[in-house]
Amino acid sequence: MVTAYVIWYDFLRYLIFYPPVYQFIIIPGLIAALVVAVFIIWFERKAAARVQMRYGPYEISPRTGGATQLIADLIRYSFQEIIVPRTVDAAIYFAAPVAAVILSLMPLNAIPLTSNPAFWPIPMDYSLLVAVALTTLSPIFVIVMAWASNNKFSLIGGVRESFIVTAYELVAVLSMLSVAASMSTFNLVDIVEAQSGGLWYGLLNPPAFLAAFIATLMTTSGFPFEIPDAESEIVAGPYTEYSGLMYGLDMGAAYIKRWVFSVLMALVFLGGWAPYVPGTGFVLGYLVPSLIVSAKALVIMAVMSFLRAVYGRYRIDQALGVAWEILIPLAMAAFGVGLAEAYFHVYAHLGVMAVAG
Amino acid sequence: MAEASGAVALPGMEVRQLERNLYEVYIGPAHPGSGHMRIIVRVEGDVMVEVDPDIGFVHRTMEKLSEGRDWMKNIPLFERMAILDACNVTLPYVEAVEKLLDVDPPERAKYLRTLLCEINRVASHLYGFGIFGVFLGHSTLYMWAFGDREIFVELAEKLTGARLTHSYPMFGGVRRDMPDDFGKHVRKATAYMRRRLDEYAKIFLNNPNIRSRLEGVGVIPKGRAVEMGLAGPNVRASGVKYDVRLAEPYEAYDRVDFEIPVYEEGDSLARAWQRVDEMRQSLSIMEQAVDWLEKHPREGFIHEKFWKTAPPIYKQVYAGAVPYAGKYRVKMIPLYASLRVPAGRSFARVESGRGEITYYVESDGKDTPYRVRVVSGSFRNVIAFKYAMPGHRLADLPAIYGSFDYFPPEWDR
Amino acid sequence: MSTSAQGIVDRLKSALGEGISVEQLKGYLELQVDPGRLVDVARRLKESGFDHVKSVTAVDYPAKKQIKVIYHVSSMLDEELARYVVGLATSVDRDDPVVPSLVGVWLSAEFHEREVYEYFGVRFDGHPDLRPLLLTPDLAAQKILRKDFKVVEEDDYLKLTFEEYTSTKRWV
Repeated sequence: MVTAYVIWYDFLRYLIFYPPVYQFIIIPGLIAALVVAVFIIWFERKAAARVQMRYGPYEISPRTGGATQLIADLIRYSFQEIIVPRTVDAAIYFAAPVAAVILSLMPLNAIPLTSNPAFWPIPMDYSLLVAVALTTLSPIFVIVMAWASNNKFSLIGGVRESFIVTAYELVAVLSMLSVAASMSTFNLVDIVEAQSGGLWYGLLNPPAFLAAFIATLMTTSGFPFEIPDAESEIVAGPYTEYSGLMYGLDMGAAYIKRWVFSVLMALVFLGGWAPYVPGTGFVLGYLVPSLIVSAKALVIMAVMSFLRAVYGRYRIDQALGVAWEILIPLAMAAFGVGLAEAYFHVYAHLGVMAVAG
Repeated sequence: MAEASGAVALPGMEVRQLERNLYEVYIGPAHPGSGHMRIIVRVEGDVMVEVDPDIGFVHRTMEKLSEGRDWMKNIPLFERMAILDACNVTLPYVEAVEKLLDVDPPERAKYLRTLLCEINRVASHLYGFGIFGVFLGHSTLYMWAFGDREIFVELAEKLTGARLTHSYPMFGGVRRDMPDDFGKHVRKATAYMRRRLDEYAKIFLNNPNIRSRLEGVGVIPKGRAVEMGLAGPNVRASGVKYDVRLAEPYEAYDRVDFEIPVYEEGDSLARAWQRVDEMRQSLSIMEQAVDWLEKHPREGFIHEKFWKTAPPIYKQVYAGAVPYAGKYRVKMIPLYASLRVPAGRSFARVESGRGEITYYVESDGKDTPYRVRVVSGSFRNVIAFKYAMPGHRLADLPAIYGSFDYFPPEWDR
Repeated sequence: MSTSAQGIVDRLKSALGEGISVEQLKGYLELQVDPGRLVDVARRLKESGFDHVKSVTAVDYPAKKQIKVIYHVSSMLDEELARYVVGLATSVDRDDPVVPSLVGVWLSAEFHEREVYEYFGVRFDGHPDLRPLLLTPDLAAQKILRKDFKVVEEDDYLKLTFEEYTSTKRWV
């Protein structure tokens, strides 16, 4: 019998809580990313304020340390007038930020948040490879934004972004994939389970973690690599001509990208849901491990945000030099370490080898 | 690239043919990093080939305005050039007029002027430092420098009654004497600032990230710096030991003990270090000046020629005979309303925070100046943008012009 | 100061040759030369150690129908000369003021000369880039620092019509 209850149940079960949709929209997708972004921006401002001998956001709700300030900012951005310059290529100008947001969320659909196969969005055999591949899709749209804006500062920002992209991608991919070399699998579930003994891959192969961390900073233009949108040089870089919600989307895409990389790094290097063994059912088998992963990713993001208080920004050629001359050899070395670990069967020796075959 | 083919022509848009492969970028005047100025940069790829500083966006024609004002009223006018360096900026005007009047201020006034000049210098350097931090994306330095500058602004307030536009030096003296407990505040501030300067070095100047941005950037060799006629800390960072305080000591500078730090490198990093070292010297001068002032009795802070025309109540207050909160502290003395300066021409120079500032004053014996010419240190440094920037990358632009401690209202006048 | 200032006067006289009056004023020494000899004297000054220009001033004398241009020069590298400022002055006709540019001698004069050009309309022959520096072209055309330009104070009362209001503006 089809009752309203059944319809709603099916709607929730097969649409909202259907893993591909759920991971894309709720955790760790759009909504979680939004919450995280709000929290991280608040944390960034508060932490920087503490270093810089001031209060940061405070006046709106002093009891929570001004946390609701960010909600107010969010609402302001959403309702601000969107000013579209006459000289832009309108269709691409609007499509690019949306595409950037959607595409930067895509990798979240390729990662597992639990070992329970019922809650995997896709089959997990090559999930690491798929996820890393999907992260490389969105940067092109930043360059498209810059081109469609038809502004000199945008264009320079876009060119810088393209330089940075070519520099960081190899590093990110190599350092992430060194885990595959080490454990001879692309399956993120297996990778996480292998680390469940507490020996995280980040501890076993620190150069890979470091390279991935710096590459993430570069891709999301975090300090000290805030180069494509360096304010004192080229206004807001590729986002110069965007205002209101469109600018919010641009910023959101950057934060989502950083969030996606953080989640990936939490899975690969920090043991994912590691100490916890996912049980059955939605809450124990899906929600709790996903929150553990999110918490770990949040820590990575918080560290990244804190760097704002310590560093200035590099020049583009210096950043590229860092990437090509230091990070790529470092990532190669990390890959070599991974191969060596595979050769000596480190995980097997430690008795935590979960990889079958 | 600037050809109009297919582009939308907007009202007020100017279309000019550029050389092939050149890309023209307008940094400013409405630009987050530019301040009230515009730099027209032509870049080839990422490298600047031609830089044209287009200044004048906050120009007020002070030289003309001063011709219509009383001698005295020009002090607050010229102060508006650089309100954060107000004493240094007006002092040469006062000195030039004093030369025409043939008035030499009392010793105490000279020390008071020296004291405020150094307070201003530290505040001005901190301001420049903060802006420099923003240019390099280093927000912590910005907040620190502006926060610590507040201490010196408040010191100035305790001394003069105003935070920024103090109009402190007047013809023949200063406007007020020092409060009783001022020495305590000065010593506290200097001790604090010395400690903070070490922390600045830790987070900014020795930060590998910042060093790599500044080292070898915007190098101006010694000969080139002299040829361009740069002024102030910028020329000293290029290895030229030139300081007005040394060359032609004014006020009490020939009686206080200080060094002129000099750096040989001439790059942006040297200019930043130069300012740190100068702040240290300023702190030491402040302490010496305040020591002198505390040791010596209050024997008049203004020349006898003007003081004798003051009403008796002023003299009673200054003698401490009138019990009121501002003991000893006579406020603004309206003695200059009908001041006429003898005809003549004079020239005075002072080392301000941003470099040497010179005044040429010509009087024809009336109650307003006939001609006043001001050249500030910032104005003389503008030329460096034109000649030091080409050859660097666009991203070096803030690293260079931040290092010159730019301040548009001062060079626009 | 006076004895050593006398020394510097003698030194200048020997460096520049005869026929140049050195006037000792308050805070600087003024040399008065003809526009024709300006570049030559400037070169000799530079050879004797005056290496930079501190300021370039012009003073308008409507009664004498003259504009006097003064280059205040001094030295940075020579500690002895650094204590003095020398004003190299020349007077030109007020109606058609042309002065040979000294940018070729002192590069540091470049922006100063542009400023004098826009304030007084003094043209500097041989200046590489003689454009208004601070002012808009409209305002520079009015030669605002000449004595016949009067600064009109803004009216306290609101102008009633837009035309009336705009007619009081000196710029566009």
